[in-house]
Amino acid sequence: MCSIATKFKDAYVNGSGPDLAAVLTPIGSPEDPTRLRSFHEFSSAEYISKDLSYALFHGKSLKVPKAEQTAWLDIFAAYWEAVDEILQCEDRRPNASVVTVFNAWKKVANALIRGYSGSACLPAWTLPCLYTVGKYLRTFAINADIEAASRGTAGIGFQEDLSAEVEKNGNLEEAARVINRMFTLCLNDRAPIEESRKWGIYDMTNLLFKTYFKINSVGLTKNLLRAIKAQSADLPPPSAFPKSQIVTYEYYVGVIHFLEENYAEAEEHLTWAWKMCHRDAIKNRELILTYLIPCHLVTTHTLPSKALLAPFPKLEGLFRPLSNCIRKGDLVGFDQAMSAGEDEFVKRRIYLPLERGRDIALRNLFRKVYLAGGFDEPKDGQPPIRRTRVHVNEFAAALRLGSSAERWRVDTDEVECLLSNLIYKGLMKGYIARERGIVVLKKGGSAFPGTGV
Amino acid sequence: MSNPTTQKNDATEQPQPPQKPQVLEEDDEFEDFPVEDWPQEEAEQTASSTANGGSEHLWEESWDDDDAAEDFSKQLQEELKKVEASA
Repeated sequence: MCSIATKFKDAYVNGSGPDLAAVLTPIGSPEDPTRLRSFHEFSSAEYISKDLSYALFHGKSLKVPKAEQTAWLDIFAAYWEAVDEILQCEDRRPNASVVTVFNAWKKVANALIRGYSGSACLPAWTLPCLYTVGKYLRTFAINADIEAASRGTAGIGFQEDLSAEVEKNGNLEEAARVINRMFTLCLNDRAPIEESRKWGIYDMTNLLFKTYFKINSVGLTKNLLRAIKAQSADLPPPSAFPKSQIVTYEYYVGVIHFLEENYAEAEEHLTWAWKMCHRDAIKNRELILTYLIPCHLVTTHTLPSKALLAPFPKLEGLFRPLSNCIRKGDLVGFDQAMSAGEDEFVKRRIYLPLERGRDIALRNLFRKVYLAGGFDEPKDGQPPIRRTRVHVNEFAAALRLGSSAERWRVDTDEVECLLSNLIYKGLMKGYIARERGIVVLKKGGSAFPGTGV
Repeated sequence: MSNPTTQKNDATEQPQPPQKPQVLEEDDEFEDFPVEDWPQEEAEQTASSTANGGSEHLWEESWDDDDAAEDFSKQLQEELKKVEASA
């Protein structure tokens, strides 16, 4: 008796989607590392349909409608063939290929899609199968693209660059199309919500998000968000879904806004993901912070504390030098930290918002000039008032202080330009009286809004 | 006459494309959680941390009223003299 058949029956009798999905997982499990091999040995290409029909549905233990039976037999027959290809790869047979595995697995995915959309109409509790099959379709596609690329360069050598570029993600793009059909299958289900495939929507969306990010087509995520929004009245509230799905979803939605430079919205979604994320998921928490920290810098001008970054040495290394320079108003140090981290910042696509930290650093430097100016003579026992008329030269001197080189002669025009830029951005309140060469700052503790002076 | 020799050399010296084993998942991919769902107590922000003022201490103001303000003031005065001299 094949253990996969037993597990299938158990999962069906118990109505357990996750258990059923485990049966369709194309890798060995910790308890049964050779499960694929024993399933493969259980039959042959010639007899697989008959053998499956007997093993899965013979006897009285399991009552499954005929159409549903046919659907599962198709799915498992395709699964057996895919397992055959997988084992050939594992055994390093000469003709084994990941591209073939991917194509075989695509047949599993298509059989499953037919099972849900056709007359068989597999019940919604089996949905975890859709996610598992979609997830491995994506994995196989990525590996198939890697294999195709390495064989392409080894075999042909000088292929046209253009077609190579198009082909680079060929399998993954094909996988995206199949997963997109799974997405539609979930979103457009009209069954009552208790038995609706709508419960699979976030799993499928997350899978597509990951895929679109990987093939560098983040723009396509917009279609998904639009489709979900259009159906939102018929979808259960996000709080009704497991946190694993919603945290992942919110992370990606946050990053999508982030890449469009909508930092306020990005912050909202990322903050939610951060708060709900499982505490032990270090890697995911680190990813959320990678984008949340630049958001905070842009929207609220706040920096990560030691406590926040303590569990993440990589982030500490990435953001600490920059944060210190911003806080101290050290422009030269800031520029150095930016160029030191440039590769990593560009790779993570956070360079642009981090660069905005330079304005904050400049604000802090000029704020120090203002504080160094001290107070005007107090009048008639009134509390002392800060000197709000500051010479442009004082700001110029502050800029020169940071730069070690004497040669750097600060141009008055340049200083005025920096000052008016800060005033324009609302980081500093006041105006430049050019004819007198002074800056007149706003009185009453609001010359540098939000910083207490 | 030298052509055939050169070509031959080229062919033999052509390095084999490196067959680097590639990692499947890029390191910036959001991972599947090991569990499907979890109570709020296991989340980053637990009910108790909200009660204690939440994540306030995780974010700091972006400026510094450092103790070295007087130093800065002195340095600024010195630099100011230089600026005015050079102007």
